[in-house]
Amino acid sequence: MKRLKLPPWLVLLLPAIIILSAVVLIPLVFSLYSSFTSYRLTRPDSIFNWVGLFNYEKAVTDVKFWAAFGRTVLLLAVALNLEMLLGLGLALMVSKVTSGQRLLRTMMMFPMMFSPILVGFQFKFIFNDNVGLVNNALQSLGITDQAIPWLVDGNLAMFSIIFAEVWTATSVFGILILAGLYAIPRDPLEAAKVDGCTSLQSFRYVTLPFLMPFIYIAMAIRSLDVARAYDIVQIMTNGGPARRTELLWTLIGRTGYVDARMGYANAMGYISIFLAIFFTVYFFKKLTQSRRELGMGA
Amino acid sequence: MANVTLRNVVKKYGVLEVVHSINLEIADSEFVVLVGPSGCGKSTTLRMVAGLEAISGGEVQIGGRVVNDLPPRERNISMVFQNYALYPHMTVRENLGFSLKVAKQAQPVIDDAVDKAAEILSLTPLLDRKPGALSGGQRQRVAMGRAIVRHPEVFLFDEPLSNLDAKLRTQMRVEIKKLHQKLKSTIIYVTHDQVEAMTLADRIVIMRDGHIEQVGTPLEVFENPLNTFVATFIGSPPMNLLDAVVKDGKLAFSDGTLIAMPPGYSQAEGQAVTFGVRADNIMPVGHALPHGEHMAEVEMEVNLTEPLGTETLLFSVLAGKEVQAKMFNPRPVQTGERMTFQIMLDKCHLFDAETGAALKR
Amino acid sequence: MATNMNHRIRRHSLKGLHFFGLFSAMMVLCVPGLWIVLNSFRPTVEIMAKPPVWIPNELNLDHYRAMFGGIGEGGVPVLTYFTNSLIISVTSTVIAILIGMAGGYAFARYKFKFKGGVFVALMVTRAVPGVALSLPLFIIFARVGIIDTHLGMVMAYVALNVPFTIWLIDGFFRQVPPELAEAAEIDGCTRWQAFWRVEFPVARSGIASAGIFAFLTSWNEYALASQLTRSTTSKTMPVGLLDFTSEFTLNWGGMCALAVLMIIPALILTFLVQKHLIAGLTFGGVKG
Repeated sequence: MKRLKLPPWLVLLLPAIIILSAVVLIPLVFSLYSSFTSYRLTRPDSIFNWVGLFNYEKAVTDVKFWAAFGRTVLLLAVALNLEMLLGLGLALMVSKVTSGQRLLRTMMMFPMMFSPILVGFQFKFIFNDNVGLVNNALQSLGITDQAIPWLVDGNLAMFSIIFAEVWTATSVFGILILAGLYAIPRDPLEAAKVDGCTSLQSFRYVTLPFLMPFIYIAMAIRSLDVARAYDIVQIMTNGGPARRTELLWTLIGRTGYVDARMGYANAMGYISIFLAIFFTVYFFKKLTQSRRELGMGA
Repeated sequence: MANVTLRNVVKKYGVLEVVHSINLEIADSEFVVLVGPSGCGKSTTLRMVAGLEAISGGEVQIGGRVVNDLPPRERNISMVFQNYALYPHMTVRENLGFSLKVAKQAQPVIDDAVDKAAEILSLTPLLDRKPGALSGGQRQRVAMGRAIVRHPEVFLFDEPLSNLDAKLRTQMRVEIKKLHQKLKSTIIYVTHDQVEAMTLADRIVIMRDGHIEQVGTPLEVFENPLNTFVATFIGSPPMNLLDAVVKDGKLAFSDGTLIAMPPGYSQAEGQAVTFGVRADNIMPVGHALPHGEHMAEVEMEVNLTEPLGTETLLFSVLAGKEVQAKMFNPRPVQTGERMTFQIMLDKCHLFDAETGAALKR
Repeated sequence: MATNMNHRIRRHSLKGLHFFGLFSAMMVLCVPGLWIVLNSFRPTVEIMAKPPVWIPNELNLDHYRAMFGGIGEGGVPVLTYFTNSLIISVTSTVIAILIGMAGGYAFARYKFKFKGGVFVALMVTRAVPGVALSLPLFIIFARVGIIDTHLGMVMAYVALNVPFTIWLIDGFFRQVPPELAEAAEIDGCTRWQAFWRVEFPVARSGIASAGIFAFLTSWNEYALASQLTRSTTSKTMPVGLLDFTSEFTLNWGGMCALAVLMIIPALILTFLVQKHLIAGLTFGGVKG
C-alpha cells in the first residue's frame, strides 16, 4: 500500500487554504445561499424560505441600490486616480530633494499608520462645521465668516470623504512609486538625454514605463482593501445626509444590521464582492503584463 | 577519496528529457571537467551527482555505493556554486565551520579544521568578516574553503570562476589546480569555458544536448576530435571547417580549388567530406613553424588582421568560407594583401559531411 | 546669452515651486495627525472654544488620566480594550506569519500548475469587503459560539492577514538564492534544517516586517471587529473609539487621547520596518 503523498507545495499551502476556507469561503457560500432566501436575523426560520432570485431582482430594481453603486464606483474612480497622480507628484518631488530624504519619506508614511476608523473620526473632527480645524482656519483668516457645512451638505460631504480617503492612501502610492524611482536604471535615462529628449519626453518614454509595474503594485494593494473606505464613511457621515453619501458598503451594513434583512444584504454584498474581485484580478493581470514588458520575468 | 560511476543516467522534466543515458567512469583522485555550451546538461548532471536533482533513470555510484536516493548530506560530497552561495548572515569562520557544526563536531575540532582550511586558502585575516564585506575573489576562496573543510570524497564545482574577471580567473585556475595536487581528491568540474577545461582537466567530457560527445585527455580531444562539434568547441580560434569532395586523391572545393589530401584518408575517395584545419596549421610562407612532410599551398587575400603579439591572426576567404590563419614572427600586413599559405596536412582532419563524425585514418 | 539667462531664471523658479509644493504636501500629510495629538493635551473647553484658541493656553494630561482611570470620561475601559487589541493582534500575527511563511515559501520555491491563478485566488479572498464578509461570518460565529471571543477575532484576523503575508514573504524568500539551501544541504543539513538555519535567518528581517504589517492591520481593523465583538471581553480599540460618541455629543478630547494610544505603537513599528516593507512589496511584485 502506497500512502497518498501530496506535493510539497500543496502541503505548505494547506494551512493557508484551510483558514481561508473556514473564515472566508464557507461564510461566502453561506451568504450566497442566504441571498436566495428571505433570511432575517430576527426570524431564524426564514433561512429556509427560498425566494430564488427575488433579492437580486429587488436590488437590481432598487434606485437606492443603484445610487449607492454608482457613488461607490465614482468614489473609487476619483479617489484612486487622484491618489495615483498625487502619489506620483509627491514621489517625484521627494526624489528630487538632495538632503533630508529620510525625514521626508518618514513623514510621507505618516498617514499609513492611522487606522481608517481613526481617519474617519479625525476628519469628522476637522471638517466639523462648528469647531473643526478647516472652518476655524477659514474664519480666522477672514476668508469666510460662515460655518461651511462640510459634512452636512451632500456635495461637500462627498468632497470631504474623498479628501479623507485620498489623505490616507496617497502615501501608499507615493512610497511605492518612490521605490520605483530609485530602482530605475540610470543608463536609459542618460541615453534619452543624449538622444535629445526633453525632460518631459524622457519622463514620458523612459521613467513612466519603468514605473508602471510599481503603480500597478500600488493599485493591486489598494484594490485589496478599498473597502476600508467603509470605516471612514461610516464614521464621517454614515451614508448621510439623507443617503447622499451612501455607498454600497454602508447600504449593506444598514440593510443587514439595522434592518436585519440578511438575505437582501447578502445579495447586495455579493454584487460588491464581484466588483472587488473584478478590480483585483484586473490589476493583477495588468501587473503581470507590465512586468513582462519590462522583461522582469513571469 | 572515491571513484564516481554514472551508468545510463537520465534526467527528465516531465516528458522533456534533458540528459540522455550518460555513462561515465571517474577514477579516484581524478580531475574531470564537464564542458559544453549552455543547456547541454552538464550542470544538471553535476547536480544529479550532488543529489540536488532527482535522477530519472540509471544509477549514480560514489565510492562503489549506489547513491540515487540518498539526500546530499549522506553522499559525502562538497560543492562550490557559481554564485558561491555563502551564507550572508554568518562570518567567514562560521561559513567554513558550518558543515562540521551541523555534523555536531566538537568546537576545538571545528576551529582546527577551519584554521587549516583558512591557512591553505590564505583566508586567515578575513575570518571574522561577513561575505558582504569580501571581494569577488575572496568570496570565491571562501566557497572553496567551505568545500575542503570536511574532507569529502568528491568535490563538485559548478562554474566556480565564471563570475570573476579574466585576470582573477587565471589566478584562481592555478590555485584550484594546486589544491587538487595537494588534496589528491576526486573532482568533477563544470564549465562552459574550453580554456578552463583544457588547463585544469585530467580528462575532459564534452557534452552537447544531453549527450556526451567525447571523453579524453585535453590533448586527445584537441588532436583527435571525434566530430566537428568537438573540433570547433575545443581550441581557440575554432577549427576551420570547409566542405569538399574527395576526387582523384585530391580535395575539391566548391569554387574549384584543389588541394592535396591529408595523409591516411585513402579510403575516402568520392565521398563528400568536411575538411578541418586549425589556424595554427595554416601559415603564410616565410612565417610558418617547422612542420611535417605533407603540405599544401593556397593563395588567399587577407581581409582582416588581429595582431596578438607573438603571432597575428589573419582572416581570409577560401572556397567561399571565412578561414583563420596564423602568422608567426609576424610582420605588418595590409588588408587586401594576397599571400601564399602553407597548410600542414599531417595535422588536418576529415569529417563525414553529413554526420560530422571524424573519418578513420 | 539671453537663452542662458532664461534657463537660469526658469531653473530658479522651478526650484521655488518645488520647495513650495513639497512643503504644502507635507503640511497636508502631517497637520491632521498632529492636530489630534495636540488636542489630546488640551482641555475640552479650549477645543470647543468659539472663536477658536490657536495658541494653547494650557496643556495637560487630563484626558489620559481620565482614560486610564476608567472613570470620568464616560467610563470607557480603555485598558481592557488595549489588552484585547494586544492579545488579538499579537496572536493573529504570529499565526498568520507561520502560515504565511509556509505559503510564501511554496510560491517562492516550487513550480506548480496554475501558480499565478492560485496566487490571485488567495489574494482575492482579501479583497472581499469586510462589511460583506462580516454578515455571514457573524451568523456562523454566533452559531459556533465564538462570537465576542478572542478566538473568533484571532481566526478572522489570521484569514485577513494571510494573503498579504504570503505576498510579502514570497518576495523575501525570492531574494534568498536557492543555492543557499542547496549549499546547506550539501553541508549536511536536512531540508528542514537548511530552512531554519540558512533561509529563515537570511529572510528574517523581511519576515519581521511582514509580521509588523499584519500586526498593524489587525490593530487598526474596524469593519469586522465592530460586528464580531460585542462586549468588553473582546472589544478592540478601534471599536472602543465609538464609546466616546453618544447620540448627540462627541468627547473629542478623550477620543484624541485614545487615538494617540493607538497610533504610538503603530508609529514605532512602522518606522522600524519601513525599508524592508517597501523592498518586500516591490521585489515580490516586480521580479515576480
